[in-house]
Amino acid sequence: MQLDPLLGPEGQTEFLLGNEAVARGVYEAGVSVATTYPGTPSSEIGDILYRLSDRMGIKFEFATNEKVALEIAAVASLGGLRSFVFMKHVGLNVAMDSFMSLSGAGAKGGMVVFSADDPSMHSSQNEQDNRFLGKFAKIIVIEPSSPQELKDFVVSAFDLSEEVGHPVLIRSVTRISHIRAPVKLGNLREKREWDYRKDTSYVLLPENAYKAQTSIVNRLDKVNSSKFRDRFNIAYGSSSTLIITSGAAYNYIDEALQMLNVRARILKIGLSFPLDMEGVIQEIERADTVVFIEEGGPFLEEQILSTCALRSINRKFHGKLNGAVPTSYEMDVDRVVGFLSKIYGIQIQTKNPVPNIPVREPVLCPGCPHRATYYVATLAMKQKGIKHPIAPTDIGCYTLGYYEPYGLGDFCFSMGSSVGSSSGFAMNSKEKIVSFIGDSTFFHAGIPALVNAYHNNHNFLLVIMDNSVTAMTGGQPTPESSPPFKRVDIESVVRGIGIRNIFSMDPYDLKNSLETFKKALSTDELAVIISKRECALEVDKKKPLSELTIFQIDQDKCNQCYNCIRNFACAAFYVEDGKVKIDPELCDGCSVCSEPLVCPFNAIEEVKT
Amino acid sequence: MVSIVFAGVGGQGVITVAMIIGRAAVLEGKNVLMTELHGMAQRGGKISVEVRIGDYKSAIIPGGTADAIVAFEELEAVRNVAKLKEGGIILLSRRKIHPVSMTMKNQNYPDELIQNELNKYTMMNVEADQVALELGYKRVANTVMVGAVYSTGLLGLREESLITAIKESLPEKVWKVNLLAFEHGKRLLPVEAASSL
Ligand code: SF4
Ligand code: SF4
Repeated sequence: MQLDPLLGPEGQTEFLLGNEAVARGVYEAGVSVATTYPGTPSSEIGDILYRLSDRMGIKFEFATNEKVALEIAAVASLGGLRSFVFMKHVGLNVAMDSFMSLSGAGAKGGMVVFSADDPSMHSSQNEQDNRFLGKFAKIIVIEPSSPQELKDFVVSAFDLSEEVGHPVLIRSVTRISHIRAPVKLGNLREKREWDYRKDTSYVLLPENAYKAQTSIVNRLDKVNSSKFRDRFNIAYGSSSTLIITSGAAYNYIDEALQMLNVRARILKIGLSFPLDMEGVIQEIERADTVVFIEEGGPFLEEQILSTCALRSINRKFHGKLNGAVPTSYEMDVDRVVGFLSKIYGIQIQTKNPVPNIPVREPVLCPGCPHRATYYVATLAMKQKGIKHPIAPTDIGCYTLGYYEPYGLGDFCFSMGSSVGSSSGFAMNSKEKIVSFIGDSTFFHAGIPALVNAYHNNHNFLLVIMDNSVTAMTGGQPTPESSPPFKRVDIESVVRGIGIRNIFSMDPYDLKNSLETFKKALSTDELAVIISKRECALEVDKKKPLSELTIFQIDQDKCNQCYNCIRNFACAAFYVEDGKVKIDPELCDGCSVCSEPLVCPFNAIEEVKT
Repeated sequence: MVSIVFAGVGGQGVITVAMIIGRAAVLEGKNVLMTELHGMAQRGGKISVEVRIGDYKSAIIPGGTADAIVAFEELEAVRNVAKLKEGGIILLSRRKIHPVSMTMKNQNYPDELIQNELNKYTMMNVEADQVALELGYKRVANTVMVGAVYSTGLLGLREESLITAIKESLPEKVWKVNLLAFEHGKRLLPVEAASSL
């Protein structure tokens, strides 16, 4: 492999993932401080900065949650440094309290908040459109469309932020952040010096907050100039039909028009708030039909149509507000062709149907310690006669425990919601409550809820599944990781709250874990199990090839009781004509299935090589 | 202009194959877009990567327009056929990875269903795993596949670009065996079939 492409010289073209382009943009912009809490589809930016921050001269940190991350970045900016904080869309909800105050304080060094939204919910609980949150918080909103623009707009966003003294929100989506394309690298800006001076607008007491309102308006007014418009917006094509678009949605329009063999004038907006309204209105006045095509909600459409209403400008308007354009799920060429064909009045052929074949649902990896924990949990509850447990769960790989055969998942809203909801269930329900949370999620938002549960005397069993990494986003460190970090010990945290019923288990040891779990289920007040075993993928990364072992089933010993596939269900098992087998290429060699609690007939054994 | 869907299951290295081809296109100064979709599972979930070389803005391939599906798993080949254009081809490295929900219900892999679907298209088997085993290094199966895709002529890319891209994507100590794998992959498909495309 060659030298790291992200450190390459100006003018070089590299095949970059959108998020890699963001990291390069951060480097080019002369950013001094960058922070995040990992979340898909923004995680790769953190992976890169974690690896390259020293060489890029950036102080980078994985924070315990997005709010902390945002506050660290805000201070860097107020001290004159360029600072960058990034997260997935729902992460901005966590940071929202301080995000709302950013506009009041403004920015000294350029400050950019980056949100990677996830339309169609490829790996999220909703598809919220964070442009609305930017406008709500009175923060400038910028929307790139491609990896190249991600990099370029990051740099321009920092310049803009400094020129007007105000923070900027960049909104990306999965289909920009997770696209790869050639990206031409640019030159490096110089870094700023730390120069912190006290300012009343950083202390948002009512008196100061009152004054800040005027400065927010003044700063946003400065953005309304054509100078900024030309940096971010483009228009082309001649037609009496005008398409106003932005972000990922833009990428599908040219091809859709080509397929339909029709024309339109395209206005692609990169600076979405505050809008260059005069420029937009001029375009609308020249058109007779206007179509709004956006990824997410009617963000541009609402802003523009209110102005049109005020100025009595009437055209044939089509978009999400009149139902011509769908409001849910991500766009693609097929969808754009679908609704544009109706607007243009063109018949289209229907496409080949997708054949009806078995689904392949997401599964826990072979060797995953969560599977062992869930297996023990279901077994312990069965043995204790708990037939209808209530099992709040949380955000992480282990949310997959919701699926059969474990079926453990009654509630999952957001990071940490397993613990808060457990209090809600405990307050009202007579059923046993057993809830599940991962280590990283526990640190992120579980602790305040657990304090609440202890303080208010709620009775439930919380299982903290500690695999020592933030696994679902690719294995980032957690507060437990050490060195060079100081290690925070989960058990000490739980004990520090005052909780007495604390149990630890190694889920790979099914027999002892089962006893521990049953003991924990017998306690009559708040109890915590810490189920500790490192993520199987992390272990694989460290394991030398020579240490690979795998397991197979001795067909002579197998009694075809099917306990292994029905109740344990490792993803490496398969069935051929009634015979259970283990796919040697999938088996991780964890050995858990060979324990008598999974295979009572000792039919599963290590393959001797 | 060419659009290809690469399909498989998480952990099979589908993304690396697409990356090599994308990098090769960049080396030739071409525009290339690649989008990858994998859900919340780190391993064992379905994966499809779409690659488009040429003057495109959309990385997502519209239905019925892909020139080829390059699949590393049988069920996943079929899952993506709606993307294939009329006359498009499927290159398949035969591998069955059983969905857990079928195993739990004690069901066999749906061989018949898959064959019935595949029979509707021009399909070529690529014995990538076998070649890799012969080379004594299981993990180069994906590079064998790169060679097979190249031999169809669909990519419109030069051999040197692919070779450089393989080197740029993999650590130096495995270059030799991977270049050998590429070489074998090139010769896997029946020559007439390959050149008639
Ligand atoms: S649990 Fe053991 S005996 Fe029962 S089907 Fe599985 S391998 Fe065979
Ligand atoms: S040893 Fe058993 S449980 Fe572990 S990965 Fe292999 S088949 Fe799955």
